[in-house]
Formats: sequence, structure tokens, C-alpha cells
Amino acid sequence: MIVYRKILIIERKFKIKGTAQNMDTKNQKMQNQGNQLTSGRGAINRRMGMAKHLKQNWQLYSFMLVPIVYYIIFRYVPMAGNIIGFRRYRAGSSIFGDEWSGLKYFKQFISDQSFWRAFRNTLSLNIVYLLFRFPMTLIFALLLNEIRNIHWKKFVQTVSYLPHFISVVIVTGMIRELISANGPLNRIITYFGGDVTYFIALPEWFMTIFVVSGLWQSLGWGTILYLAAMSNISPNLYEAAEIDGANHFQRVWHITIPSILPTITTLLILDVGGLVGSGMAFEKVYLLYNPMIYETADIISTYVFRMGLDSGNYSYATAVGLFEGLINLVLLTIANVTSKRITNSGLW
Amino acid sequence: MRESQGYRIFQGFNRVLMVLICIATLYPFLYLIAQSFSSESAIIQGKVNIIPVEFNLTTYISVLSQGDFLRSYKNTVVYALCGTIASLFFTSIVAYPLSKPHLRLNKFITPFIIFTMYFGGGLIPNYVLMVNLGLKNTIAGFVLPGMIGTYYVLLMKAFFAGTPQELEEAGEIDGLNKFGIFFRIVLPLSKPIIATMVLFYAVGYWNNWFTSYLYLDERPMWPVAYYLRTIISGASTSADPGEVTAEKMQIGANIKSCSMLLMALPIICVYPFVQKYYVQGMMLGGIKE
Amino acid sequence: MGKKLLCVLLAVLLVTAVFAAGKKDAAASQSTGEAVGYTYGLDKTFYSEQPVTYSMFFSDASWYPMKDEWKTEGVFAEITKKTNVTLDIRSFDSGDYTNKIKLDINAGNSAYIIPKVYEEGPFVDGGAVVAVSDYVQYMPNYMDFYTKYNMANDLDTIVRSDGKYYRLPGMLEAAMQDYTIMIRDDIFKAAGYDVSKLEKDWTWESLYDILVGVKKYMVSKGMCEADDYIWSDLWCGSESGQGKGGNLLKLMGASYGVPSGWAVGNGMQYNRDKDEWYFASTSKDYKDFVTLVNKFVKGGILDPETFTQSDSVATAKFYNGETVLMSVNRGQYQTWISGLDAGKVGKGNYSVYVTVYPKGTNKYAAENSRLENGVMIAEKARKELGEDGFIKMLRFVDWLWYSKEAYTLHKWGVEGKTFQYVTDAATGLKVKKLMPGFKCGGLGIGGAETDEDIRLKWGFAGGNFYYGHTVAEMGDNFIPVIQDYYARLGKYRESRPVNPPVKSTEDENEQLNLWTTPLIDNVNAWTLQFVTGQKDISKDWDAYVASCKNLNSEKVVALINEINKRK
Repeated sequence: MIVYRKILIIERKFKIKGTAQNMDTKNQKMQNQGNQLTSGRGAINRRMGMAKHLKQNWQLYSFMLVPIVYYIIFRYVPMAGNIIGFRRYRAGSSIFGDEWSGLKYFKQFISDQSFWRAFRNTLSLNIVYLLFRFPMTLIFALLLNEIRNIHWKKFVQTVSYLPHFISVVIVTGMIRELISANGPLNRIITYFGGDVTYFIALPEWFMTIFVVSGLWQSLGWGTILYLAAMSNISPNLYEAAEIDGANHFQRVWHITIPSILPTITTLLILDVGGLVGSGMAFEKVYLLYNPMIYETADIISTYVFRMGLDSGNYSYATAVGLFEGLINLVLLTIANVTSKRITNSGLW
Repeated sequence: MRESQGYRIFQGFNRVLMVLICIATLYPFLYLIAQSFSSESAIIQGKVNIIPVEFNLTTYISVLSQGDFLRSYKNTVVYALCGTIASLFFTSIVAYPLSKPHLRLNKFITPFIIFTMYFGGGLIPNYVLMVNLGLKNTIAGFVLPGMIGTYYVLLMKAFFAGTPQELEEAGEIDGLNKFGIFFRIVLPLSKPIIATMVLFYAVGYWNNWFTSYLYLDERPMWPVAYYLRTIISGASTSADPGEVTAEKMQIGANIKSCSMLLMALPIICVYPFVQKYYVQGMMLGGIKE
Repeated sequence: MGKKLLCVLLAVLLVTAVFAAGKKDAAASQSTGEAVGYTYGLDKTFYSEQPVTYSMFFSDASWYPMKDEWKTEGVFAEITKKTNVTLDIRSFDSGDYTNKIKLDINAGNSAYIIPKVYEEGPFVDGGAVVAVSDYVQYMPNYMDFYTKYNMANDLDTIVRSDGKYYRLPGMLEAAMQDYTIMIRDDIFKAAGYDVSKLEKDWTWESLYDILVGVKKYMVSKGMCEADDYIWSDLWCGSESGQGKGGNLLKLMGASYGVPSGWAVGNGMQYNRDKDEWYFASTSKDYKDFVTLVNKFVKGGILDPETFTQSDSVATAKFYNGETVLMSVNRGQYQTWISGLDAGKVGKGNYSVYVTVYPKGTNKYAAENSRLENGVMIAEKARKELGEDGFIKMLRFVDWLWYSKEAYTLHKWGVEGKTFQYVTDAATGLKVKKLMPGFKCGGLGIGGAETDEDIRLKWGFAGGNFYYGHTVAEMGDNFIPVIQDYYARLGKYRESRPVNPPVKSTEDENEQLNLWTTPLIDNVNAWTLQFVTGQKDISKDWDAYVASCKNLNSEKVVALINEINKRK
């Protein structure tokens, strides 16, 4: 989720530049081909223009044909299946359910304690993770930026990107090995006289495990965007500041950070907007959790998966999924509007 | 350039910190490597840290000579290859037109695809769809669900939007149609983003286990990630009947670490060399100044 | 012209009439016979004149993974040879089997035959499986066993609210308590305890005292440290124990009259005297039970990692002599032996004893059901095969799972090829024995390293077919040690009478499922925390009971008793 948004910000940055180029092209095209419509014309012209527009650009549109069909079949058709949140689904009969059940399933999960527990867990895991990841990524990026030796800098970056490329199956496998009863963590604990702790079975440790492993995996990768933004800063600013007598830290504080502030702000706002989302973490939690730690480890997506498959109640599971999707959409829209208002860039 | 005392101290501190970060990042790998080469008794007694104890290759030999593992490895290569090619093709041909601002339909199509990032069909409808299309236990079944990644589309779109129009214009003047311009001018210019896409998609397919869990039932079709998961979840080593030999006990002790490393190996070997491309790809704005 | 036409028409009508009549007779002939296109019957081989294919799900266990040879020369090929039926196998890894078939069945993509089903509830309400009770009259082998061994009461436990049942269960002549505890007899005896003399009436408390004594002995001899655990069990961890506490809690709970571990179900227990159900997981018996288990942990005897570790870690400890007792079942006996031989303990340095495990507040064995997992038939089959074709398939299923001939085939293989009959010296009876050059881990029959394992190579004695049947048939592969165990078991323990069924309607089922899933998750979490000592039983018991009430435990009890009164 997070990364998607980052790309869009950069893309937006581009649009500003690109538009300028395209304007020139458009003017050129007008001279070459005539008849090119610009947005300044009247409505009637535009209507006539659509058919012509399609005719002129059919090649480019045809590029998109197959992918659009792909989206319709593989993304939108299944979306229609969400209707079973409002209808009673029975195996083997219609995939759109048999009869309307209205808001029955919604009412059921709202009064279900386990759902709220999953909701709480999703929120707390996301919030705590954000609280650590956000500043740490930024600081790490700033520190990386300070490395003088190009080779050393590249080395550290390369090493730090490695965990990002590792499959979640392997990451969770590593976690299990490291926190197992005769794994290194416990060995250190017993060396200092403590008792063997069965971390995988203790609810109070899950959040730590989740956050720490998440940081391990994503810290390095997350610095890329910040470093990109930093490399955009004109060196003249730094030189001018130095001439004015600013020392290094003052330069960072007064130039670097303010220059990348739009990036920081946008990312922060969008991260906050994604706090209810549990889709990204599904695989990791699913591979790590067990009934003894559902109390803190069960998130909405794993709850939905379990309720759907284990108790066979797909209508119920779909209702919960819809609810999550809706809240997500609302929050992200609010976040996007806020971000656009403050920093002029957002997702859409 | 004068450097203050404080700054020098800071540089020293930074260096130390970076070293610590590198160690922390690499430690789990070193631990796995050590464990995979160690003997069973050393592992059980907890003697292994980052250096193998009682070095032996038993488990590696066993895993690599086991038909199942090799077959799943081969499968993964095939799936990743087919998937990456398909993904690259379809992602780029949708991203390119979307990058052209003069196409009016774009303002409907872009939200059309972005919306799918937030809302999906859920497990059952997607599964039913794949079943009804007859795609279970096929390569297509593995590739299609994730073939076009919306955020990758946006990534490529941003890149294409930044390519100089003049070259495309030149192509048009030379008489190339849009297809020609795209394949013979734009794509060759887009090596960085293509390299990025290849890396991202390939890694995504290589590491994917959930899609195979859903759609690839038969053992012969499994990719490495799913095979690894069945080992890690303990099913494989659960009370293995028949004879228990010393060799089997050795294997039981470190089969997980061996398999994990074998699965991660190709990616670890490849990604540093492609680093400049994907970093470039991600940076987009910076270098194109 | 007209006349000719009329003749032809009449002829056609006549033939059709005869044909139709003939068909009806065939279907109506119940116990044996020639039906059109196939033969079937009690003690007759099913044979289809035309080759026919039926799709079947298959649970593929990774410790004997399915190989192509099974289809070309192994168990599936043999089945086809005998019956002319080809099975179109759709296999899933055993760990994911239940989830995967749920997915497929619920997506309308079911195979015809669905074996290895423990719980058919979620499928019934979906309408995807056939009410097989409507068709069992067509299945001669099934009906024969049913009548001979009085299975009616047992079958009643799986009847649903519409009066029908939806699974063809593995039927046992007598409940077999398969799981028990194996001890290192040499160490126990050296410590002064002869378990064979003690096991008749021993309770868990007495086991505790014995183990304390054994540990003291071991520490004195330097065999272990004072803070080592001498009991670390398997089948209880997060995977094979399913996070419920698995095997051990099932055994110990049953001896206290409460469902726990693998058997936790919905946590309800039936009070025969009051004809009433109650929530056993918060009862006094349950409190005593968790206190008991915790005693073993607190006393430094039972390793709390039992409830999280994977099976291989537990077995490794036993093979290396760190632990002196471990759970076992008849299938794994041979494996434990070979493990002890291969491990640090070493061949010839030990002796083991398969105990009749201790009593609790009752002397029931945990296993009291004569029904095992079973086969479901998909509604899809009935739709696609038509009524006659469907009955034909059912008769094939009847042969495969309920006939003696098929049982021998899929368990032992082919006479003369993999097994033969020999006369047992002791009893003078004919018994089966694997031919030289063969062994079978699944049957608990060991052999040399070079012997072929008929399960690994050809898929015989595999878990998808191998259950149910008479005691004699079940025991035809038992080695003397196991036979002796069952003899003692029969002498020292009894079978608890089965609980009556709860015949809930579809809506009630849906509601119960929604309540019990989180409720039992909670029970499992607290139980494991109590037994491992993470939570204090005396201090936190009330909080636990309150948490269950919060999760609708009382509503579940009320609803189930309401349904119970209806019967």
C-alpha cells in the first residue's frame, strides 16, 4: 500500500513537468495535423471530437484493450461476488447467494466480540508499526545521506535492501527459528540467567515480534524515496548556507528537511489513512499466529479467512471484508484530500 | 571545507551505527547458513551461532537429490519466467497510453484501475472465477491473479510520461505507427524501468506461496515457496514413520534452514547487480533533471 | 409406408419398455446381483463392464507422498484391475486438505467422492453433499456390517435435524483406544517401578508420584539435571495439536469427563442422569483437569514446550534419552523403536512398555466412538451421473470401503506379490504376512533397509482408505506387543456411552458455529495458559469463566438444550 502511494506522488511531480512538454507537442501537432482539440473549446465541439478523437487515437486505445478486459474479468467480476455479504450463500448453488439476508450478517459481526478484537489488533499493530517505522526510516535516510564514502554508502544500502526481497515464508521461518526455545534469543536470555521464554505462544510478545520483523524487512527499502527527494535538492542551497556560516547540522535542519517536507507529509498522511487495512499483513500474520495468541495476533484479514473457511460461513466473512474495505476507502479518501490541501500532491 | 569537531564525532558514530545495522540485517541469514551446515547434535544442544559446528553437507545433499524439491524449484523458474514476461508485456502496454495526457478516456480509465487497489472480490468469488475458467492447476492459474499490478502500472506510467516527446515525434515523421513507436523507440529507451519491473515481478512470482496454495493443488505443480511452507509448518517431519535413521534425524534438524537458503539464493545473487536499475526506477524524478 | 412406420414405432416402443423394465429390476435388486453394466454384492467384487471414471479427493500425507507409481502399478492400478473403475485423483497436502476441500466444495468444484472427512457439518448446510442415509439400502457390504454389529445407535450420533446423515463413516466393531503412553521400562524398573503391575488402577496422580521418583533416580545417577524435564510430548504443539493441546489433553481430559485437546469440539458435555447438556470447559471437572496437567508442569516433570513444539523436536528428545515417556499409537510403535535404535539411546540399551494409560475420575478410555472419519458424496455426482449411475458409484464406494476384499487389497496389497498367508505357530490360524523383501511403516511392520515399503512405493495401507472394519481385520497386522496392549486395555478400561446427537436446523447451526468458533478459541488459549502456568488457576479461574460467558457460552448451552428437548 505504502509504496503505491509513493510512486503516485512522484508521478504527480512528473505531470507538472510533463504537461509543459506536452503543451509544446500539442501545439506542434496542431500545426501538423490541424483539428486538434484543446480543452478550451465548447461542448458541441467536444462531442463531435469524441468520435474523431477515438478515430485518431485508436492505436493507443487498442493497446489498452486486453488489459482492460483483464481488469474486468479478474478484478471487477469477483467484486460483484461481494454481494453475498447481503445474501445467504450456499455451497454449490449460485455464487451470488440464494436469498437476501439483508443486514443480518452485518448485525452479527457487529455484536461479535472477536471481530472487535481483530479490529483493535489491526489498529494497534498498524499504529505502533507506523510510530516506529516512520521516524526510523526518515532518520536512516538522513544518516545514509551523510555517508561520504560512495562505496561504503552503496554497500550499506545494498545490504539494507536485502530483507525486502525475501519471501514472507522465509521471513516467518527465520522468526520461528530465532525465537524458538533453543534458538539464539533464548540462549542469550538463559546466558544472563533468565528463563526460557516461549515467545511464539505468548500474546504479549506478538506485537514486538511483528514490529521488529517488519522494521527489519522494510527499513532499508523505505529510504529510497527519501533519498530520491534529497538528491533533488540543489547543491547551491547548501553552498549558500555554508557561506552564511551554517554548520552541518544546521544545514540538514534548515535545508534538507524542509525540502523534503512535502514528501514526508504526503507519506505520513497516507500511512495514517491506511491504518485500518490488514490485507498487506495477512500472509505474515497467518504464517506466524496460532490459537494461543489470537488475542493480540488476530487481525481482520485473518479473522475473515478463518471464519470463512473454518465455519464455512462465506456470507459472514464477506460482510466483514466489505466493512473493512469501506472504512479503508473512506479513510484514504479523507487522507488524500487532506494531503492535497496541505502539500498539493496525493493519490488522485 | 572546515569540519567541526562535532561533525567528525558524528561521522564516526554514523559509521559504527551503519556497521551495527548491517550486522543486524545479516544476522538471521548467517544463523541459517550456520545451522544448515551443522550437525544435528550441535543444533539440538544449542551450540550453533554464526559458525557451523561439525560441518556436514548431509541435508543439502538430501534436499538437492530429492525429486520433490528439484521439481518445485524447476516449477518456480518456469512460473517466474512466464509470469514476468506476461506481466511486463501487459503492464507496459497499458501504462504507455495512460501516460499520454491527450487521451481523454484516460481520466476514466486511470481511476478504473486505481479503484481495484482498494476493493477486491474476496477469497471465494476469486476462487470460483478461477475454477469456472478451468484455471486450477495450470500455469495461467498461478500467473493471472497477479499479472497486472496496478501500482506497477502507475510506476511505468510515470516513467513513460517523462520520456522525451521529441523522439516519438521523430518516429512519427519517419512513418512509424503507434505500435512501431512504442516497440522500437520508447521501449528501448526504457531499460531502467523495464529492469525494475522484471526484478519486481520476478521476485513477486518467486516468493509467492498463497496463490499456489489456492490454485496449485497437486504436488507436482508446487513452487518452492509452497513446498517450503509445508516443511516449515511441520507437516513433513511429523512423526515420520518407517525407519528412523541417523541420517533422517540429521535432516530433520536442519531441513528448514537448508530449504530456506536454497529458495532465497537466486534472489540474493541477482538483486545487487540490478540495484542501480531499480533504485533509478524508484527515483524517477531525481535523475531525469 | 404407414404400416412399416407403425411397425418400427411399435418395435421401438417395445424395446424401450423392456429396457426400462429391466433397468428398474436391476436397481431394485438390493443385496447382490447383476445390474445393468456391473456386478456388485456382499462378498462379491464390484466390476463395471464399461470402464468408468469417478473423481475423488485425496489427502496426500507428506510422509508418504503420492507417487506416479501408485497409479501405474500401485494401489490405484490394482483397484482399476479388479473393478474397471479408474479414480480421477485430486490430491491436496494433508495439512491443508480440510481447508482445500472446503474451498472447492463451496465453490461448486467438488469431486464426486470425498474421503477423510471428520466433520461434515459445514458442508451439509451448503447443500453440496448427498444425504447418504437415503441410499445405504443399495450398499450391501455397508448394510451387512451395520446390522451385524448393531451400528444404529452409533450412526444416530451423526444424524442431523432432517433425520438423515451425510457421511458414510468408517464403522468399527469396537472402539479402539489407539493412543496411549509408552515408557522406558528399563529406567522405570531401575527406579523401582514395575508399571505392568501398577497400570491396572493407576491414576494420573499416581503417575505423577512415579515420575517424581523416576526423576529423582535419574538425577542421582547423573542421567539428567534437576531442572530438566523428563516428559516432553508430541501431537500437542501448534501444528499437530492444532493449537488445542492435541493428544495429551484429549486423553487426560477424557479421563476427567471433559472434552479437551483434539476432542474439544464445542466444549459441551452431556449429563446422562439429567438429560441435559452443560458447558464442560468451565465446569469443576475441567478445573480439576487443568490443575492436574499444570501439576506435572509445575513439578518439573512435563515440559511446557510440549504444547508448542513440533513433533520432530519431541521425538528427538525421546530418541536421545532425554525424556523417558512419550505418547504413541499403534501405527508409530515401530517408528519409535527404530528411533531409539538410531538415536543416542542405541539398540539394545533400552526396553519399552506400552502402557494402559492412567485413569482420572473415571475409568473410561478416551475413545468411545465406533465411528471413524468417513466418506461424503457430492451432490454434483448425483446430478451428473443420474440416479442409476449414482447408485452404481455408491456400490463401488461400498466395495472399496466396506468389503473385506477391498480392505485386504488396499491395506496389504496383492496376495502372492506383497503378502501371503502363513499359519501362525502359536494359534494355528492363518495370518497375513508381508512377503520377504517388503516392509510397511504404515502397518508398523519393520524390515531391512533394502526392503521395499509398500506404502511409500505403491500407496498401500494409506490413510484415505484404511479405517473401520472388525477387530480381527484391524488387528491382522498387529505385532504381539500391540496385541498384548489391546488385550490389557480391554481388561482394565471401559467405553463411555456415546452422547446423543444434537439435531440442529440450518439456521441454528449457523448461529452455533458463529458462537462456538471464537468461544472455543478462547477456551483453548486459556487452557494452554493454565496448563503451562502462564496464568494462575486459583487466581484467574473466575476471569476465565467470565470471558467464556462474554463469548456466549451460556447462550450456546441454552440453545443446545432447547434443541435437545425437541427430540
